[in-house]
Amino acid sequence: MSGGDAIRPVLTATALTKRFGSFTAVEDVGFTLMPGASLGIVGESGSGKTTTARILVGLERPTSGTVVLDGEPAAGGGARRRRARLIQMIFQDPYGSFDPRQSVARSVEEPLRLHFPGPAADRHRRVAELLDRVGLGPREGAALPRDLSGGQRQRAAIARALAVEPRVLVLDEAVAALDVSVQAQILALLEELRRDTGTAYVFVGHDLAVVRHVTDEVLVMRRGRVVEHGDTERVLRDPHHPYTRLLLDSVPSPGWDPGRPARDRRALDALDTPTPTTGHGEDQCRSSNG
Amino acid sequence: MSAAEHGPDDVLTVRGLRMEAGPPGSPVPLLDGVDLRVGRGETVGLVGESGSGKSLTARAALGLFPAGARVSGAVTAAGTEVIGADRAALRGLRRHRVSMVFQDPRAAVNPVRRVGDHLTEALRARGVPRREARDRALDLLERVGIRDPRTAVRRFPHEFSGGMLQRVVIAGALSTGPDLILADEPTTALDVTTQAEVIALLDSLRRERGTGMLFVTHDLDLAAAICDRVHVMYAGRIVEETTGAELLSAPAHPYTRALVAASPSLHGDRGAPVPVAGRPRSLAEAPSGCSFRDRCPAADDACAAAVPAVRRHGGAAVACLRPAAVAL
Repeated sequence: MSGGDAIRPVLTATALTKRFGSFTAVEDVGFTLMPGASLGIVGESGSGKTTTARILVGLERPTSGTVVLDGEPAAGGGARRRRARLIQMIFQDPYGSFDPRQSVARSVEEPLRLHFPGPAADRHRRVAELLDRVGLGPREGAALPRDLSGGQRQRAAIARALAVEPRVLVLDEAVAALDVSVQAQILALLEELRRDTGTAYVFVGHDLAVVRHVTDEVLVMRRGRVVEHGDTERVLRDPHHPYTRLLLDSVPSPGWDPGRPARDRRALDALDTPTPTTGHGEDQCRSSNG
Repeated sequence: MSAAEHGPDDVLTVRGLRMEAGPPGSPVPLLDGVDLRVGRGETVGLVGESGSGKSLTARAALGLFPAGARVSGAVTAAGTEVIGADRAALRGLRRHRVSMVFQDPRAAVNPVRRVGDHLTEALRARGVPRREARDRALDLLERVGIRDPRTAVRRFPHEFSGGMLQRVVIAGALSTGPDLILADEPTTALDVTTQAEVIALLDSLRRERGTGMLFVTHDLDLAAAICDRVHVMYAGRIVEETTGAELLSAPAHPYTRALVAASPSLHGDRGAPVPVAGRPRSLAEAPSGCSFRDRCPAADDACAAAVPAVRRHGGAAVACLRPAAVAL
């Protein structure tokens, strides 16, 4: 490991594999994430993108492979609290991650109580600060989760995740359920937070247009494997793998031919069957910008 | 809306549709003066955010009103006046002429009955003999791209993936050869790749059979790509009617423009999506006059005076005093 002031990756995933019985959900997935960077993971349902995200935050134990957070392996019994300080996750439906009987402010306070023991007054000041940071006032803080709109709940979830000042935020379809005008508000907030705090993002999503706007680098996953990895703009403009092309052709646009993805898919399936070797322009690059 | 002139080939016309719920003393308004039409073989989009009333409007075409709702106006679907129609007339309409495809296919089929039963049910109810109904079901499954239909009819819904089950639901919606399909976010729960396949399917059926389709979605890119015309709804009213081609390239109403600016795009410059202040409102929460005025950068006192009348603006019909005044 390089010492001194050299910038090191805040997250390194190496050869992650996850099997459920005989089914391989994730196979040989690896990447590095530098501080303040934003990495997208895209693919269809069943591609392994959510399982990968869950492994990163420790909700799922990989069958093999390692996750290194801020220079230290994230594993073992005593490592849970450290991991929670470094990496936090935001889900599509924040309603499921809040205690419905607790005020939003209290839910945001909980990680503070756990990680930073100290006077309650300090904590309350910090909660107000956090809520304000994501655009929520004392009125929203005092409300129950069900009394907030979807966008406000997602803001509250972000405030709670930021409470421990994590180095990495994993966002799993975090804006997928929001109306487009509200989605844009949350995307702007995420961009602002990344700029101000240097938190790195892993953004899991199916919406390529959203991924284009919030990430610098993207992994395209198919059937548990990374089929393409590169600079987001490059991958979306000039996809190397036929599966990435299939995903792009599926996005409606003026003059769109909805029959084309089906043809892409048949070409891709034909490609899958006979050849045992890798290749077909698969981008095996495990690039790190460090 | 002025553009909703009645044509002889219309499979759906909605004129001045108003709806309110709640006790008569304190009514909760849901829809206010909705006008739209769908011609034969036409795909018409209904776009808007949560609470805009787009699903309510689509369901109204089948006479599916919220319990206790008071409805006025005129809704003519496949030649039947829906408002005030008796149960037999509505049953006939739903059985023969108008089909609906919802977002969640699992909510649309009986989970404990075989897929074949789902497909033959409407046909059998019309008196089609069992064997013929079965052959038609096999035909339909083949048509919607289900491999090995003979095995598929004997399977249960849980044995299908979401995309495949949505194909089954579409096959069921087509079994009666309807004049009109109401598609309420039919692809929202599907992967983009599967969405494209389902859209291609619906589109080929429209072309072959001349079925009219009212397509409800929150996805502007999708509406622009597949619809001949698009209605934009906000807070229980239609605020703009425009062509699919012009929805993204020349939106006129400030709300439509805000939606376009807020949508991240896959093509062109990587300009950041522009947020709209506030959140989408229902009609009950909306301010007087123009419902969008509290979120609109161009609004002033005139906008509060009355609900703006519809006026032509290029190829669009817009309910705004200052169409296209807001910069994109």
